[in-house]
Amino acid sequence: MNTQSKTTPNQELIQAARTGLIPIHESGWLGGFDNLFRKELGEWFGTHRWLPQSLIWLVIINGLMTFILFIVPLIDPTSVLPAQEALVEALGIYLGFVSVFGVIGVIIIAQDEIIREKQSGTAAWVLSKPVSRSAFILTKLLSNAIGTLVIIVGLTAAVAYGEIYLVTGTALPVLPFAASLGVLMIGLVFFLSLTIMLGTLFEQRGPVLGIAAGVYLGSMIFSYFLPQIGYILPVNVKDIATAVALQHPLPVMAYSQLISAAILSLIFTTTALLRFRREEF
Amino acid sequence: MNSSNENVIQTQGLGKAYKGAKVLHDLNLEVPKNSIFGFLGPNGAGKSTTIKILLGLIQPTAGKADVFGHDIIRESLAIRRRVGYLAQDPRYYEHMTARQTLRYTARFFYQGPRDLIEARVEEMLELTGLADKADRVVKGFSGGERQRLGIAQAQVNYPDLLILDEPAASLDPMGRHDVLAVMDRLRKYTTIFYSTHILDDVQRVSDTVAILNHGRLVAEAPIQELLSGNDGADIYQVTLQGDPSYAHAQLTNQPWVQSISTTSVDELTNWQVTVSDSDKAEDELLYLIMEGRTVRVKSFGHKTYNLEEVFMNIVKEEKS
Repeated sequence: MNTQSKTTPNQELIQAARTGLIPIHESGWLGGFDNLFRKELGEWFGTHRWLPQSLIWLVIINGLMTFILFIVPLIDPTSVLPAQEALVEALGIYLGFVSVFGVIGVIIIAQDEIIREKQSGTAAWVLSKPVSRSAFILTKLLSNAIGTLVIIVGLTAAVAYGEIYLVTGTALPVLPFAASLGVLMIGLVFFLSLTIMLGTLFEQRGPVLGIAAGVYLGSMIFSYFLPQIGYILPVNVKDIATAVALQHPLPVMAYSQLISAAILSLIFTTTALLRFRREEF
Repeated sequence: MNSSNENVIQTQGLGKAYKGAKVLHDLNLEVPKNSIFGFLGPNGAGKSTTIKILLGLIQPTAGKADVFGHDIIRESLAIRRRVGYLAQDPRYYEHMTARQTLRYTARFFYQGPRDLIEARVEEMLELTGLADKADRVVKGFSGGERQRLGIAQAQVNYPDLLILDEPAASLDPMGRHDVLAVMDRLRKYTTIFYSTHILDDVQRVSDTVAILNHGRLVAEAPIQELLSGNDGADIYQVTLQGDPSYAHAQLTNQPWVQSISTTSVDELTNWQVTVSDSDKAEDELLYLIMEGRTVRVKSFGHKTYNLEEVFMNIVKEEKS
């Protein structure tokens, strides 16, 4: 075999040495990760990108909260609650909105991530560079998880925190509130990893969107008839998050649900990695 | 150093099947270092499949292959670090500009310094004539501009091996000329392995050619060898004026003359004389024709094929 070519410094190194460029020698399953990750994060936070993303989520979550917490009492003064009840209600509204709109948003954003790259041919182009397939999938997951955490959860939470304070005059304890956001994130990452996995399994957007949305809506509906589903799937994330924020004791089902959601997220991610390794372009 | 040390690509029994249907059969290919290797074949012959296997974009179902001595399955990343690739239908992120696309590509190979990466990007934009379109988004690019961008991104890492899949297929004659000129210029720096079905391009720039048909390698040789005929016999073309019967009789008496095919146009007779002994033919053929002084030789020469003839002959033989 070609041992001569293998051991001789290649043109890249020679040219790089001449020009002063420093070659990257990432290898293995994270090859190309840094560059991919920078690009994927740019989809959320790049110039002119973070603003529309932020505005959309502020309008959906905090805008609706503003309407319910500030406008409705003006229209209907009888709806004004005592401070403690108002605190619980306002918190529940915020966590409920994120757990519903956040999941829908995450599914809509993630359903296109893999399919678009496969259909447009950009995945084939990127993977013709020194990029590992694992890095390709992991950067999609990680960047979307960070984007979700910062904009859908973090930004709206900061504004919601202020709104709750304004309407109740009470500041929520910060750490329990932050922990409740972590609970929300477990639910969102579950649907993010599920949707990314579906993107590696299918070639069209329809099944990806349909199955992910089906799992969400189906689990919510079935949990009314079969509450035990809550031991496995993240169907009570809003209730668990509210209990955490208010420092109430959690039922066993809550722990089981969160651990199960985290484990399932890992399984979805592993499945996506294994499936994408066999993808042909 | 044995000959395989000079091969950049080497495949052994490489094959690919989809659901039992073979699209690539038992491919044994050797691409010499610093060659411009034309990978020729009609549409659907398996050219792109071979290229994608070499780049790890699809998996072979049989055989094995090495690029720079690295196994294509186990060491694909090491291979891709030294390769520049232009796809048949190159696709990039539509929202990125040409400059951003090249910067993104360069950062898969170089960690810095930033100003030198920018300089390399600028150099590629200049080289491919995209400098004035550098900050336009790719979405608005024409087919030719995309192809230029494809060539730029394929070269950004000073590749040891440039793999081009139908690089000139979507270009106008001027664009084709430019692409071939770039390939010719890069010859001394890199090995170029490119697929095409444009025979004229292959004949202009390639030094070695492989012909693939229905997923099978039907010929692989230096282009001059292929164009001189590959069946062990030499053919001479002779144009005569006058009565050729004496000369014909002289030639048919020679044991090294295999056949003479004749066509006549106006007063001229054209012969294609197939010989089995080139040395004898070089020494005696012309003398024997002129010996009887019954004909004038208007032209005489060794027949060379053009690639189209070679290609069509091979493909016809395959069909029959």
